[in-house]
Amino acid sequence: MADSTEKEMKILILATLSGGYEGANSVGQSHFEYAANTYVLPVVSPAMFPEDFYLRAFERGIDAIVVMYSGSDCPYRGAAERTAEIINRVFPKMKERGINPRRLRLVAICTVCAKPFLEEVAHANELLSEIGPVRDEIAAAQAQAA
Amino acid sequence: MTEKPENLIPQEPESAAQDEEEIRIGVYTCGCGGNISDVVDIEKTAEALSHMPNVVVSRTDAAMCSDGGQSLIEEDIKNLGINRVVIGSCKPALHRQTFRGAISRGGLNPYFYYHVGIREQDSWVHHDQPDEATKKAIRLMTTGVVKARMLEPLEPIRLPAEKHVLVIGGGLAGLRSALDMARHGLKVTLIEKTPFLGGRVAQLETLFPTEESARDLIRKLVDKVTNHPNVTVYTYAELVGMSGYVGDYHVKVLQHSRGVSDDMADAAIAGCTKEVPDEFNYGLTKRKVVYRAYPGCYPESPAVDWEHYEDGCVKVNGEPLHLEDQPKVWEFTVGGIVMATGFRPYEPYEGEYGYGVLPEVITLPQLIRLIGLTPEGQPLKWQGREVKNLAMVHCVGSRQIAGINKPQPDGQVNDYCSRVCCTAILHTAAELNKRFPGIRVFDLYQDIRTYGRGHEDYYTEASENNVLFMRYHNDELPEVEPAPAGEKRPLVVKVKDYLTWGEELEVPVDLVVLAVGIMPNPIEDLIHMLKISPGTDRFLLEVHPKLRPVETAVPGIVLAGTAQGPMNTQETNAAAAAAAVKMSALLGAGSVELEPFVAYVNPDKCEGLGECIKVCAYEDALTLRTVEVDGKQVQRAVVTPANCAGCGACVSACPNRAIDLRGWTLAQYEAMVDAIALGDMPALGG
Repeated sequence: MADSTEKEMKILILATLSGGYEGANSVGQSHFEYAANTYVLPVVSPAMFPEDFYLRAFERGIDAIVVMYSGSDCPYRGAAERTAEIINRVFPKMKERGINPRRLRLVAICTVCAKPFLEEVAHANELLSEIGPVRDEIAAAQAQAA
Repeated sequence: MTEKPENLIPQEPESAAQDEEEIRIGVYTCGCGGNISDVVDIEKTAEALSHMPNVVVSRTDAAMCSDGGQSLIEEDIKNLGINRVVIGSCKPALHRQTFRGAISRGGLNPYFYYHVGIREQDSWVHHDQPDEATKKAIRLMTTGVVKARMLEPLEPIRLPAEKHVLVIGGGLAGLRSALDMARHGLKVTLIEKTPFLGGRVAQLETLFPTEESARDLIRKLVDKVTNHPNVTVYTYAELVGMSGYVGDYHVKVLQHSRGVSDDMADAAIAGCTKEVPDEFNYGLTKRKVVYRAYPGCYPESPAVDWEHYEDGCVKVNGEPLHLEDQPKVWEFTVGGIVMATGFRPYEPYEGEYGYGVLPEVITLPQLIRLIGLTPEGQPLKWQGREVKNLAMVHCVGSRQIAGINKPQPDGQVNDYCSRVCCTAILHTAAELNKRFPGIRVFDLYQDIRTYGRGHEDYYTEASENNVLFMRYHNDELPEVEPAPAGEKRPLVVKVKDYLTWGEELEVPVDLVVLAVGIMPNPIEDLIHMLKISPGTDRFLLEVHPKLRPVETAVPGIVLAGTAQGPMNTQETNAAAAAAAVKMSALLGAGSVELEPFVAYVNPDKCEGLGECIKVCAYEDALTLRTVEVDGKQVQRAVVTPANCAGCGACVSACPNRAIDLRGWTLAQYEAMVDAIALGDMPALGG
């Protein structure tokens, strides 16, 4: 089996249908090029994801998660605040598992936020170049614990 | 009240029968006429996906949305027994209804379909990486296949609906939407908070670009609305209570008394001794406490301004006339609500360009009223002095910058463009030139944004006539100062003009006019009551600016006009007409059909902890009810689908995973994440 470092490092983008998902589409409509290791999943609101959803994704091998929510423009009352609360609770749990908290990022992306979308993708890839695959971190933490 | 467990059964996914059914997935990869296939190898994609478990057929087509493409799907459903459909093509919003229609025609539940965007999010953004784009298409469509395996048959939520709409606001948008909906056959009740209809447009003189009389236009519209048999109008009325859900909103309206009967109207006005600043003329004049807003207003009956009324301030035949506000309360049921709550002009703070300190500094709405109050043939005068030189300043209260502009009381600056001010200034300059030849206008601007059809003509006309333009930068704002003693003009405007490469100019003027921006009316009470959301700019927020531009996240509540953002009268009419069409489509059949993507509870997992209810922001969407399980009285969460916005906040709150979102379940997301995370490409055979 190939070493994990040789595999593509994957960036999961959870993007709201009222914000980031359409922002990603607007990037496409402008034909801006970006890295292909990004996978956008549409979500009504990331407020639906509990903390363990993120931890599980990292443990399965997702190297970075960018939650592109609608921020203060979220059409659902209280959903943006709840998303931020949940994400804040995930960070210490990531640390406990040896996962660098910088792998998870919450950003507000609107329907026409093409440039901020590209910046976030570039930022995530720069981060992964610096810190490497998540599996290595988890393996190191497990080895240390053992 | 105790409910039987079987009452909760509809809350569960209707998956029992499906569990036993063989899942047969059809996968369709679209070439989009080269938009996708020029970059993504769609044949390789289809081949890879064909090896996935449950995939019975994997096809490509140059245009899946074409009749031929749709027929492929229909035929496969009928001939191959396909019972799940995954489509990879353009962004889902473009052709969701197209494909749902094709799947329905094939005889399958249209929610057995998942759509993956591989054009905007793949081929169009990875032109230079065709191999990577192909791998990505396969992986993205793999997420669609794994989700498709877990899809459930869903039915739109159908509820009986009152064919009756409440319109809040009696300005242009409210009147227009009310008339359109009435013509579409809906019953309409329009409420207006002030005693008179017409809103801000009634305060204008002429409208650009048609040069119609604003009040004539409003009057015609009011006549049509008030004479329409489907419309009831309550002026001096406000919404004070609301409950229910789309199709069945119970509303409570409080209507203030007008205070005087028609037979006493003129005597009461004549006998009123108390005066207050007249808001219709933006404080330029005074009006009595018993008043009509303007000649020809609707209703013609005067009203008492209860906020300023004092006992004894109205006398008839020398005797005090006691007036009493005995409001009426109306309660009725409507299927939907149109928010046409309008705007207010930005009020400059004291000292902003001299406003409130120097008497010769006024706002553009005030100038428009001043022009309206000036008799034909008379010169324009301000405080008894003829106006010869006049400076207009753009972007006052608009396009503000934090750190440069003073924030509003709520700490925010208005960083948006109010859009109508540029044309309004130039239109007013043209009006000045026509009515008062000889007046010189100095136009101090950052940018000229006369974006509408025919609006640029005003700029051309102004340039050729009486207007001299000066351009400032937003970090070097013009200054307005009193002129030195002995000068002919009372004010001096200092501006660094970038049309003359930064020359510092001093302009002596008689009047400075501030083109103030547009702000939403203060309707925090309604926002709270209706559970709708304002944006960061404080205007009411639509679900999506392009795809659902007049709908709020609350089903059955739509937006009309400047409650949503700065608009001119043309745009306001268009937005109001759009709101009316949306509402007519929603309620016209007497029932409403909602997307089924709402929360549902699995009563076997629910322990009645109530964590979901704590985080739910929607009234009556989630409740705890007592049910009998194994002879014991227990609490269980129950969703009222019509009240659920489908945000999913409850899903993350439940420690037992007893609540989920139909069509977007947590388990589906976990499976999709797994499909992305897998190091190898299962669809490629490892």
